[in-house]
Amino acid sequence: MATRVDFWATLTDPLIRQNPVTLQILGICSALAVTTSLATALTMSVSLTVVLTLSAVIISLIRRHIPESIRLIVQIIIVASLVIVIDQVLQAYFAEISRALSIYVSLITTNCLVLGRTEAYARHHAPFTAAVDALGNGLGYSLVLLVIGAVRELFGRGQLFGWQAFPVTDAGGWFTPLGLMLLAPSAFFLLGGLVWAIRSWRPEQVEAQEHLPPARTRPAE
Amino acid sequence: MTDLWSLFLLAAFVDNMPLTLFLGLCTFLALSRRPESAVGLGIAMTGVLGVTVPLNWLIYQGLLAPGAWAWAGMPEMDLSYLSLIAFIGVIAATVQLLEMLLDRFFPSIHAAFGVFLPLLTVQCAILAGSLFMVDRAYGFAESVVFGLGSGVGFAIAVGMLGAIRTRLAYADLPAGLRGLGIAFILTGVMSLGFGSFAQMAMSQ
Amino acid sequence: MVEPDWNPWRRLLALPNESRTKTIVVAFLVASICALLVSGATVLLRPIQTANRAAEEQTRVDALVRGIPGMTDLLTQSGGTLSTVVIDLENGHAASGVTVDSLDVVLADTSNWTTLGPGTDLAGLGQRPNFAQIFLLRGGDDISLVLLPVTGLGYGGRIDAILALRGDMNTIEGIAITSHSETPGIGGRIEEPSWQAGFPGVELRDETGDLRFAVARAQASGPYEVDGITGATRTGRGITNMLRFWLGPDGYGPLIRAIERGEF
Repeated sequence: MATRVDFWATLTDPLIRQNPVTLQILGICSALAVTTSLATALTMSVSLTVVLTLSAVIISLIRRHIPESIRLIVQIIIVASLVIVIDQVLQAYFAEISRALSIYVSLITTNCLVLGRTEAYARHHAPFTAAVDALGNGLGYSLVLLVIGAVRELFGRGQLFGWQAFPVTDAGGWFTPLGLMLLAPSAFFLLGGLVWAIRSWRPEQVEAQEHLPPARTRPAE
Repeated sequence: MTDLWSLFLLAAFVDNMPLTLFLGLCTFLALSRRPESAVGLGIAMTGVLGVTVPLNWLIYQGLLAPGAWAWAGMPEMDLSYLSLIAFIGVIAATVQLLEMLLDRFFPSIHAAFGVFLPLLTVQCAILAGSLFMVDRAYGFAESVVFGLGSGVGFAIAVGMLGAIRTRLAYADLPAGLRGLGIAFILTGVMSLGFGSFAQMAMSQ
Repeated sequence: MVEPDWNPWRRLLALPNESRTKTIVVAFLVASICALLVSGATVLLRPIQTANRAAEEQTRVDALVRGIPGMTDLLTQSGGTLSTVVIDLENGHAASGVTVDSLDVVLADTSNWTTLGPGTDLAGLGQRPNFAQIFLLRGGDDISLVLLPVTGLGYGGRIDAILALRGDMNTIEGIAITSHSETPGIGGRIEEPSWQAGFPGVELRDETGDLRFAVARAQASGPYEVDGITGATRTGRGITNMLRFWLGPDGYGPLIRAIERGEF
């Protein structure tokens, strides 16, 4: 490839313009389950970005020598090994958070985002470019996770990273926590709202209508 | 341990994989635009989950669990950290095998949902089924019931969403909500509805 | 004339990707390198993980002890510290031949565990160790406090806790949750002091001797119940079953009866 890759664009595109979660519909599974608090959301974001970048670099390094017949399983094995190592590190140094994340760190293995990027990008680009793209996508994913995590923790418990931002009525304050924020449906509503907001700001992301209303050829009766 | 019927209901409704546990959402949202693809996905999920969870139970109990190697004189061997790789390998192999079997013996069924089968190798929900089985220390019968129950729950949820989204083709939605946005909000409302199942009494 | 390349590695890389040799060698290399990476990481990190778990457990025991109202006064009054002993769960007496240090090695032997049948396995454990390390506080000749480690299956996984019982062996003095995998904000609230504050003073058995302890669905009704957590019914039931198992005949039951008879 003779064209110079625009590194800055590769890094920042996935933040809003090509956000993996809100536009490409990748990586949603683990995204919503861990957003009940900012601490778990941050840990998950960092873990995923690390796995994404490392696997992109490794697969990009060996990209010319992966036989087609075992392509998918080789990628999965590499990602799975990285995930196991990260999981062991978390269990050793961040035991409480690791317990709160339970199986969702292991699920990074089948995260559509990781495999999607290795299939689509890392296999066809040089290691450094692949790393930049992976980092960008990881940051885009982290952005969505942190926004939703912040809203859910703030309105569900009045806390941010465990610090009581809104004093709760139980403790003599004024804030009654919104219990719904800690349950599953709120994550869906928030993500839907976030997608709506982004697409209203950037109309080029709006999906095309499936059926166009028929053109009026007669005046309405 | 709860009895098997309660476990089935638990897996299908209370712990519904896409709606309560956020598992398998990528394919859930991507394939729910049409009821045909939604139903196909549901059937494929049930089949693969019903086979891989018990299979992974056998492998976990026989090779990976702490103390599993006691018959060979090595009771302190704990290979549970390899479960992730083992499960993924088993799932990939099962999906491949299932596809070949269907192609050979039931070609019409294979044609009906053949394209979804390879997709399921990298489905979070299928791997999650096996990981939950380890976490919750299920027995063999419970693994089968849990796998089938989770699959049925997934099928119900994705079928419902497919039906609703087809109706929405003629709806006049705000531009920003079209497609992905409304799918999320719909899933949220369905999740709210399924949340009421949490009060289902379990036998003890 | 091109000389044949004698370097086997470069010869391998030059093969077309689809050749059988290359496929097998690539598969083998990927598998071995990944296996080495994973096993290496696990072996290196396992000691740190166990050390961290032990340190956490110790902090929780200390926190529980300090958190019990009047505990520090009790300690200074009786001039005592917490003493610890390994007991044999079958007969409720101090285990002979097993010390606190040798407990880990003893429990690594599967013959020192008892398998539980479905009728007795209230806490979903599958099996139960035959020896356990407990903590005692003596005031003079009598035992004023007993700390019992308990474990059971919650909603998301294992729950480990330490239960503090008063000298009458029927009233709870406090509870500390040392580890759990419950949903943060819902079942996970069992680790909050506000919920644990419902435990002191709760009784276990009624006059006829039946175990009546339970975590209520909502508000506690009666001296044998603790307030439940909204939305965490299954976690609450897990705690109820855990305590009922360990305070029953298959858990610390023999020990409790031994203490009541004054054999300690």
